[in-house]
Amino acid sequence: MSEKIVVDARGTACPGPITKLVRAYRQAKNGDIIEVLATDPGFKPDVQAWVKRTGNELVELTEENGVIKAVIKVTAKK
Amino acid sequence: MTEKVVVLGAGTGGLVAANLLVSHGYDVTLVEKKDYHLFQPGMLWIAFQGHDPSKYMRRVDTLVKPGVNLLKDTVESIDLNERTVKLESGKTLDYDKLIIALGVSYDYDSVPGHRQLWETYGDYFSGPEHAQRLWKHVSSLREGKLVLAAADPLYKCPPAPHKAAFLSSYTLKKMGRKDKVEVILALPFIHAYPSETMAKIVEPKLEEAGVTVMTMFTVESIDVENKKIYSMEGEELEYDVAAVIPINKGPQIEITPDSVKDEDGFIKVNKYTLEVEGFDDVYAIGDCNNTPTSKTGVTAHLGAEVVVDRILGYDAKFTGRTNCPIVANGTATFVISSYEHPVIPVKFSKFKRMLEDLFIAAYWSSLRDPEKWRSVFKAYFEATDPTKLGESGW
Ligand SMILES: Cc1cc2nc3c(=O)[nH]c(=O)nc-3n(C[C@H](O)[C@H](O)[C@H](O)COP(=O)(O)OP(=O)(O)OC[C@H]3O[C@@H](n4cnc5c(N)ncnc54)[C@H](O)[C@@H]3O)c2cc1C
Repeated sequence: MSEKIVVDARGTACPGPITKLVRAYRQAKNGDIIEVLATDPGFKPDVQAWVKRTGNELVELTEENGVIKAVIKVTAKK
Repeated sequence: MTEKVVVLGAGTGGLVAANLLVSHGYDVTLVEKKDYHLFQPGMLWIAFQGHDPSKYMRRVDTLVKPGVNLLKDTVESIDLNERTVKLESGKTLDYDKLIIALGVSYDYDSVPGHRQLWETYGDYFSGPEHAQRLWKHVSSLREGKLVLAAADPLYKCPPAPHKAAFLSSYTLKKMGRKDKVEVILALPFIHAYPSETMAKIVEPKLEEAGVTVMTMFTVESIDVENKKIYSMEGEELEYDVAAVIPINKGPQIEITPDSVKDEDGFIKVNKYTLEVEGFDDVYAIGDCNNTPTSKTGVTAHLGAEVVVDRILGYDAKFTGRTNCPIVANGTATFVISSYEHPVIPVKFSKFKRMLEDLFIAAYWSSLRDPEKWRSVFKAYFEATDPTKLGESGW
């Protein structure tokens, strides 16, 4: 069964939100949805680069009141 | 009656907390399983420059102030409801206040092939003897690839592998093998450093040192027979010698209630007060807690100060401040951030190298006599507050 994994990375210091995304990805399987919330402005380009490299699908990338929300569909797991 | 404080673990955080509390007149018991405290960054110099481990080790009993009741024992379980700590020897301790400072534990079994790789080559995380094993392999590598990678993006001291890359490249240069041995730094992050701001500063230095950088490479499995490492992101790397940072997990002890641990065994705390979730008489400091900041000696030290102040009755708060040093040849920089402010740009300089060398020289003294260093560190951390320095950096 597909799952939705929510990763709250708001207000994190270095090493930042991408760390939490990678860790969630290790546990995830194809079909799962990973939703990441972050406040670090660097997260937007970072998540785009990560999706491009890993071949997963970026379903949504929005920013509201300083909170970035990225929704990723896991499709590239072996 | 004096309050009884039990401190678990005589690492950076535990020693600072115990020594500060005893100087304020508390009845302090400190439990540590090892005879020696290791200055962990020293493993880099052991593994990549062949330093003698004794340089980076001190007996724990020489690092505690008179008055601290030091027990050499292993913590097995803690019951936060009963306020008791059970030790391997069979002893049970009770407490008025408890400070957990047990650091991380390492998992070499979740990544296939990792344990075998570690047993063969060692690494620069798990202890001086393993760092010495790595040195044996690095120093006898005449040609080929030295791969420095990580099994997970969450490991203590985010710039440790960068320091490893700088130090090994200088060693190879000195040995005249720079053109024959390629140093490859392969890490899970998007850029050469977790924060892009610092990546822009660190990457040219790595290039200058001749280090090959691979981004978005999280080790998924290792084939030791064929000397290949595979990443979660779908790539592979060949190596001649490799050191892979193990998955870091919380301490290997039983805690009641179990709900205070997260899925990796890190202890859940309020990120400002460092109180363990649901218990106002228990704190977890340093690497063993789940605060969203870097796991470093600096954060463990600052966390210990916050907790001691809170026990004394002040409303102190932990800021998540980081100050991770990256040393390169003759220069250094620091990765500076906090909960309130993302990483600021900090350039490499000789002056910062001097500061870092001073911090290292002060290490043993700052553990045993933390009260003497408080005003020095306070001035440094205020002067370099990321919210004050801002985007223009340092
Ligand atoms: C290669 C490397 C380089 C680093 N470089 C830096 C740096 O430049 N700057 C920096 O600030 N930090 C650096 N660090 C990180 C720093 O060493 C740690 O973050 C710091 O030591 C954390 O302190 P702590 O008190 O939380 O845990 P630790 O210092 O790890 O102490 C935990 C203690 O608990 C004891 N213990 C564990 N389990 C038990 C048990 N069950 N019973 C009894 N005792 C137990 C252990 O023996 C240990 O003494 C580096 C780390 C490494 C590996």
